[in-house]
Amino acid sequence: MSTLAQRRGLRLGLRLTAAVLLTLVFMFPIYWLFMISFKTASEIYAFPPRWYPSSFNFDTYHVLFRDGDAATVGNSLVVAFFSTALAMFLGFICAYSLARFSTGGKHLANWIVSQRMIPPIAVVFPIFLLYVWFGLVDTYIGVILLYTAFNLPYVIWMMRSYILDVPRALEESALVDGCTRWEVIWKVVLPMCRAGLAATAIFTFVFAWNDFIFALVLTRTEVATYTVQITHYFGGQSNFWAKISAMSVLGTVPIFVVTAFMQRYFVRGISLGAIKG
Amino acid sequence: MADLRVSALHKYYGSVHAVRGVDLEIPAGEFTVLVGPSGCGKSTLLRTIAGLEDADKGTIEIGGEVVNHLPPRSRDIAMVFQNYALYPYMNVFDNIAFGLRSRKTPKEEIEPKVRRAAQMLAIDHLLDRYPRELSGGQLQRVAIGRAIVRSARLYLFDEPLSNLDAQLRDEMRSEIKRLHQELGKTMIYVTHDQVEAMTMADRIVLLRDGIIEQAGPPLDLFERPASRYVAGFLGSPAMSFVDAKVVAAGDGLALRLGDGATLALPARRSANLGNWVEQPVVLGVRPEHLGRANPGERAGLARHSAIVELLQPTGSRTYATFSLGGTRAVAELQAHDVSAINEKIELSIDMNRVVLIDPATNRVIS
Amino acid sequence: MSSVQGASFGQRNFKYLLVGPAIFVLLLVGVFPLVYLLTVSFQGITMTETSTDFIGSANYKQLFDDARLWQALLHTLIITAIALPLELVLGLTMAQLFLDRLPGRAIFIALLVLPVVVSPIVSGATWALLFNHRFGPINQIIGWIAGKETILLWTINPDLVYPAIIAAEIWQWTPFMFLLLLAALGNVDRSQLEAAAIDGASWWRTFSRIVLPAIAPVMTVAILIRGLDLFRLFDIVWALTQGGPGTMTETISVFTYVKGFQQFETSYTAAVALLVIILLSALVMFLLRRVELAR
Repeated sequence: MSTLAQRRGLRLGLRLTAAVLLTLVFMFPIYWLFMISFKTASEIYAFPPRWYPSSFNFDTYHVLFRDGDAATVGNSLVVAFFSTALAMFLGFICAYSLARFSTGGKHLANWIVSQRMIPPIAVVFPIFLLYVWFGLVDTYIGVILLYTAFNLPYVIWMMRSYILDVPRALEESALVDGCTRWEVIWKVVLPMCRAGLAATAIFTFVFAWNDFIFALVLTRTEVATYTVQITHYFGGQSNFWAKISAMSVLGTVPIFVVTAFMQRYFVRGISLGAIKG
Repeated sequence: MADLRVSALHKYYGSVHAVRGVDLEIPAGEFTVLVGPSGCGKSTLLRTIAGLEDADKGTIEIGGEVVNHLPPRSRDIAMVFQNYALYPYMNVFDNIAFGLRSRKTPKEEIEPKVRRAAQMLAIDHLLDRYPRELSGGQLQRVAIGRAIVRSARLYLFDEPLSNLDAQLRDEMRSEIKRLHQELGKTMIYVTHDQVEAMTMADRIVLLRDGIIEQAGPPLDLFERPASRYVAGFLGSPAMSFVDAKVVAAGDGLALRLGDGATLALPARRSANLGNWVEQPVVLGVRPEHLGRANPGERAGLARHSAIVELLQPTGSRTYATFSLGGTRAVAELQAHDVSAINEKIELSIDMNRVVLIDPATNRVIS
Repeated sequence: MSSVQGASFGQRNFKYLLVGPAIFVLLLVGVFPLVYLLTVSFQGITMTETSTDFIGSANYKQLFDDARLWQALLHTLIITAIALPLELVLGLTMAQLFLDRLPGRAIFIALLVLPVVVSPIVSGATWALLFNHRFGPINQIIGWIAGKETILLWTINPDLVYPAIIAAEIWQWTPFMFLLLLAALGNVDRSQLEAAAIDGASWWRTFSRIVLPAIAPVMTVAILIRGLDLFRLFDIVWALTQGGPGTMTETISVFTYVKGFQQFETSYTAAVALLVIILLSALVMFLLRRVELAR
């Protein structure tokens, strides 16, 4: 065996080891979180800490479901789903107008991009005051509306990029063949943007699902999302760690599943987002 | 089928005046080719006729109906694009049927129509395939199929053969011409290739910088160009232009070239050039106006000695480059008239067919 | 003769109808808050005072005197200045590691993406768990290394809170940098690298002269995005320390939240919020201009 091949083999071995170690380090916190949720109270507070539960204990989960806390995950789902759908719909048609007609020129495009940069706390504060006035606090509509508004710039920006990549000739051909512009948007452009749509939609959904500060300010009891629910367990009570971790797991597993299925699109979404951004 | 009339059409792209007052009348059933170099406005004109662009001034009438404000789908036209514009996520059948479905054609009618169009273009065996599985030529046939399946009254072609290799282009040219004969529809075809224009058109419209330089049957433009531009655009190899002066010689007139050579003009032409004595003109010579001089030739042929600088044999003919009046010119000779460069050859120039141009206006002197 | 004569209202204004709804919703986030904040900041609303009379620029004067506010900005700056470069370097290293073929590469990447999709609040809570002084594994591991039982108060000890927050932040977002940079590295022209190899360039030379310039645009975008996010940091801090001990780890977002939703100093908070928006906008403008000029 030549030394070049040997060196290459060694390099590969080192890289593989590094990759494994790296992955273990990054996965460890997630493992710990999941693991805690299956421990009994005594196990959690054992000292020194045990790294694995003696058995899979679902007590905490039972409590969460019994008390109705687990329903907050359902709220997260409703809010994330509808705000994503709305943002994708409005954002897509707006992006089409920007891409094909350059509506509003540079000024509109720049203004939309600048909306991405607004710090959430600066937005949620006046919005909260407005919602109080309109009675929208702790309502689904209120939260969905704000998430939609906050996600629109991202959706518009990304979709505009993807739409620009669709050859104009396809649309023109359809126009000549008998489609109205509206039909062209949905029958021709949309299918061509499928990949971009998926990537953008996932990002938007994850953002809404994982948001905390907006939910913290704008929800109370009716619409509390799982992120807010977790903070209810901070401070004070004895088994709050168990509930924190169990609730976190309940809110995180769905996203893990979605990401696993859409892994391709998610990764592509991040990378393309940078290249097009 | 319908006729087309364009009146005083203007189109701006931002500050660029792409179409500058075009008047065009195309009788129904004709095959018209819009030809010109890049940027001459031919594609813009076509797209404006299609309704993909809005005209800024002027009217467009199809079949007597003003269509300026109508969207493309209401103009009853069909279009074939340079890049085929096929939907990658539909198979060939669905691609061709797309237009019919958009117009809510009943399902029973769609299948036979699509099949007939596919048969006409010899692609009926490809109906299940997807665009990514097809070759360039097949893709172009599908694009054409999509256009003809609808029986529109006007067909527009936007440089459809530009993306094909030379051999395929030849093949498709005859296909399209044959289609025109079979269907008899009004067709407008845009290309930058003057060979395509010459071979396919019933009528050529030569555009330059947004205006029509000349329009008419191909041979008209070829043999009786109106301007230097038209003369130089059509024909391959292109016409050569040599500076000359009209001088009196013997009983008639002749052209004196820059290097002193004199070419006698036939009587017929001399008669028309009375005002041009001692005036500068530009002589336009096509390769086919030149040939190897034979003893005892008829009148009208001027003789010229030349030294061959470059040879380009094509098999049946050989193109020889030489110097004429200080300018490079090309002669079309028989394959074995000349065999090596630096050879001397006697050429005869057909002074009946050469073109004379007024250098001040660049118009052809009739 | 007008060429659009006869076109319907819908036809002519189609493009505006498409952007209309989106803009309408965006106004909710984009224009309304600014106007509202501006108005309220000139009023005197506090927890006790509900009158909406205008009191001039008293709130803005207070901004400049408020030490806690500037501390919060400083805290935010410190966290950003430390976390961002670390994320960048670590992300770049990881990207380089995974650039070439590796068995199981897809699985590794799939797993490494997970921290990014976890909610920041969950991330904070998880690290609070890890950093727990008695029951968290981190102290346990340190104890193994140090040889004796270690009880470090990561979320309370002033010397340890910043490392704790930064650790959580880096854990969550380095994979994001990693993915971005992986894509960028993958797009570097292979033939340039091969030419450099033939020329005999060292690894460092190739990296600094060819690779870095090639990925610079993506890196800039990444830095911009992460920098902005770090400036707005709230969730992780809230979960770990709630801004404590005292106000030691209070970022500007935490500060604003406390002022507005715990102390109910509505008008003053409005002024603070406006200040934050202005600062952020100025920063972004400045950076974007630098990027534009660099191109």
